Amino acid sequence: MNFGNLALKNLWRRPVRTGLTVLGVALAVAVAVSLGGFNLGYKRAISNSIERLGFQVMIMAKGCPYEAATMMLKGGTGLLYLPEDTKAKIETDASVSSITPIFVGVAEKEASSIRDDAAKSFAIVNGIERESFVTMKPWVRFQGGAGYDGGRWFSDTAETEIVLGFEVAEYEQRKVGDDFYMTVTPNGAVAPVQHKFKVVGVLERTGSQDDGGVFVPLKTAQKLFGRANELTIVGVKLKEFSGVKLREFEGRWLKLPEVQVVSLEQVKGTLVSLVGTAQAMIAAVALIAVVVAAIGVMNSIVMSVYERTGEIGVMKAVGASRADIFRLVWLETLLLCVVAGAAGCLLAVVGSGAVEGVIRRLIDLGVSDSLVLITPALLGAAMLGAVVLGLVTGIWPAWRAASLHPVEAIREGE
Amino acid sequence: MNNLSPLISARSLTRQYRRGAEVVKALDGVDLDIRAGEMLAVTGPSGSGKTTLINLLSCLDAPTSGELSVAGRRVDGLPESELVAARRGVLGFVFQKFHLLPTLTVAENVELPLLFLRRPADRAETLRVLETVGLAERADHRPGEISGGQMQRTAIARALLAKPSILIADEPTGNLDKANGEAVIALFRKLVTETGITVILSTHNERHAAACDRILALEDGRIKTAGALHS
Repeated sequence: MNFGNLALKNLWRRPVRTGLTVLGVALAVAVAVSLGGFNLGYKRAISNSIERLGFQVMIMAKGCPYEAATMMLKGGTGLLYLPEDTKAKIETDASVSSITPIFVGVAEKEASSIRDDAAKSFAIVNGIERESFVTMKPWVRFQGGAGYDGGRWFSDTAETEIVLGFEVAEYEQRKVGDDFYMTVTPNGAVAPVQHKFKVVGVLERTGSQDDGGVFVPLKTAQKLFGRANELTIVGVKLKEFSGVKLREFEGRWLKLPEVQVVSLEQVKGTLVSLVGTAQAMIAAVALIAVVVAAIGVMNSIVMSVYERTGEIGVMKAVGASRADIFRLVWLETLLLCVVAGAAGCLLAVVGSGAVEGVIRRLIDLGVSDSLVLITPALLGAAMLGAVVLGLVTGIWPAWRAASLHPVEAIREGE
Repeated sequence: MNNLSPLISARSLTRQYRRGAEVVKALDGVDLDIRAGEMLAVTGPSGSGKTTLINLLSCLDAPTSGELSVAGRRVDGLPESELVAARRGVLGFVFQKFHLLPTLTVAENVELPLLFLRRPADRAETLRVLETVGLAERADHRPGEISGGQMQRTAIARALLAKPSILIADEPTGNLDKANGEAVIALFRKLVTETGITVILSTHNERHAAACDRILALEDGRIKTAGALHS
């Protein structure tokens, strides 16, 4: 027999009450762990998405940085355009390692889809300069297998060849050699124009915005959309990427009246701040859950002490000191919280997929990676939190039990 | 302390309580000597001060005034922390309500005081003590699985395991039927005879009191009569 053993047996005396208290704390811990996991996962997902862009800095027309950030990661459409010669100007900068121009436009998909619900769908059209694009994203590969073998890039002058991102090809059920139709309303025109392309390649899944887009030569895209000599983005990779180098680069190019320089770090910050409010609300809910659980633990242990007043009196009579009784009740609280913490961690790990599904349904997060990242450090922190919760909430009930006068306690117990 | 010295000695022992503005004298100037190996019954009507005297002799409570020595140590005026030390290993307790922990077995309940005395439990010794009270075969049962009389005998075994020199029992038969009550008193007598332990018990039962060596009758916090029944 030792104090730990005795504390466990005391908790087991009221299994329903102990179970409900453990459940309350476990849920609070699970919410806190899921929130922490979401925080870590979201930051990781943003970092991965940004790394998969291939460039560290994006040059684009001046406008809303939030829109820029979203476009960068989701392949959305920029409504503002840059003169094409911006690329040539920036290319002269000695700090530039590689550079690629991109034109982004939106085409309607009404004529080609085999699906009824696709009648009003859209396709994100990326006009790219093949060589510099591939240099920027060396990991991009073509799918192989039946119907996909022989995938290749188009030539920069091809007007009817198209490469499909993984998700577009899957959704539209297109393979290499198939026809692909897009309808575009050129700049300044009223009537839409339908175009027919030949699929020359389907990309493997990249986990980035490229999966949801289609690729045509830059000149072809500019012509389709009636925006000759205009670009949406110029992606830049610097020879040396640091805060100082980036600020120097920004300083040199922000003087151009039409340009904004958006860095990877800025985009990260912007996207994190986009969900900051939601995270604060979830954190508040988690905090309330922890407070409610703490009150539940205290209530449970105080009730237990009240019910065992006579026994505590007898324990004191047979030799237990104030410190012994304090230790015993404190240990009970600690054990309860540790078990609840472990259950909460398990619940969070098992339920993280479900939590992610709910979060994704509620908020458009702009990233495609897994959003909940539960690390050993996070679980360790949660267990530490549970221990602290047990130590703090146990103080008052333990002090109350230790302060019982043996004679009065025995009398009350009788 | 030599063999002739009383094991417990009280002089002008007084205990007052405050009940609102009123001061109640629960015990009023009691003088008392109890020798080692004696079996003493404390009797008296409700409110006479039996439990107050038992609590003071047990070092569970402190006197308002007067002197009290237990096993050669002055205990009057000691703070609670030192009263705990004075009780440890010297005094064993049996209460009217048994206060056994329902989740522990009979043997574990008996061994509970050792946890607070920081002594390792020896199951053979526990079984020997349980044998003394006639419960060795019930060692692995839980309190819910034994009778009231067996529960009280478990409580007595719990009090005995630490080998105290004094066993104090406050209304030990109050929750027992006649047969079990008499079995408990017979057990006390056996312990006194075989081990030389001193037993002090409070009781309303005249037959149980008559089984003791001496009866201390209290009335209004004072000793009414004190006399030896047996030599």
